[in-house]
Amino acid sequence: METIISKKDIHNTYVIIPAYNEETRVRPVVEGIAKKGFKMVIVNDGSTDNTLDVLKDCQKKYPKNIFIYSHIINRGVGLAMQTGFEAVLKYNPKFIVNIDADGQHSVADIENVIEPLVSGRSEAVIGVRPLKDMPKSRNIANSIMNFLTKIFYNVDVSDSQTGFRALTIDALNQIQINAQGYLISSEFIREINDNSIPFEEVTIQTIYTPETQSKGTNYKVAFKIFIQMMKHKLFG
Amino acid sequence: MLVYSIIFPIVSILAIGIFYKRFKNGKNSLSSFIVWTILWIFIFVFSIVPDASSIFARFFGISRGLDFIIILAFAILFYIIGKLYFIIEDMQNDMNKIVKEVALNNEITLEDEEE
Repeated sequence: METIISKKDIHNTYVIIPAYNEETRVRPVVEGIAKKGFKMVIVNDGSTDNTLDVLKDCQKKYPKNIFIYSHIINRGVGLAMQTGFEAVLKYNPKFIVNIDADGQHSVADIENVIEPLVSGRSEAVIGVRPLKDMPKSRNIANSIMNFLTKIFYNVDVSDSQTGFRALTIDALNQIQINAQGYLISSEFIREINDNSIPFEEVTIQTIYTPETQSKGTNYKVAFKIFIQMMKHKLFG
Repeated sequence: MLVYSIIFPIVSILAIGIFYKRFKNGKNSLSSFIVWTILWIFIFVFSIVPDASSIFARFFGISRGLDFIIILAFAILFYIIGKLYFIIEDMQNDMNKIVKEVALNNEITLEDEEE
């Protein structure tokens, strides 16, 4: 039986959103989350477009739900998440959710990913995008990354590159994220596994548009992640 | 006289001069000045007296002097690339720390907007 998410649970949940050059896509994501009553820590990762202005505008509308931090230069999604993880500790959250800023995730899935945490079944959740729903090139790149995550980090998951995850504050205090770029997804899974944190996979909806496909794990990114995994394995 | 035996000594003397100036101005450490000076002296000597490389080659068990110079050049280049890689890596990590700290200490609030 599914646990019902109470208002208190929503109040105790903070959503971390790393955003880089998302001026046309970030508003519906942020306002959609705010309308549901969740609070957000948004990290503008040195965007060169008007992302920060759009975020400030959203903050005017939902001042109690939106907390903005901004990198002076672009350093990658991994560092933006690290900043988000550190910033969120100021607000004493109980549950933390990560979601992409480009609108590829459905805001409606936030309740689904925190449900296992609220019920106490698990301490961490990864939102799994069904491989069959992905465009072919993305599907192959993700399958390769799942295989590499299994080889290098010894964890078998259905979607190692998802940007939709959730974890409890206890789990957050146990993990150590050092990745600067897209390696963060695999590193998150490795940390969850290495710290024996009980985790669950929850199937999420993915909205693919030409814009959302322009970012994320393509072949080039997959190759970069592979090199970083090798480096981590060899040099620690 | 071959062209390289004129150009390389001139370049070597200029390079030693540049490194000396940098050392004098405190931009290079004494150790790096000494290492680079020795390197350029080698290039100076090998370009004026090419047979000198054979002496070093024989010492290291390499048959030809030119082979010795090529192997030495590769070793030096790989060392420099490796060193630069680690320097860049350290700088990236330092930069990340700064960017993160600046962001964490400067939360953007509505009050900032009003100011």
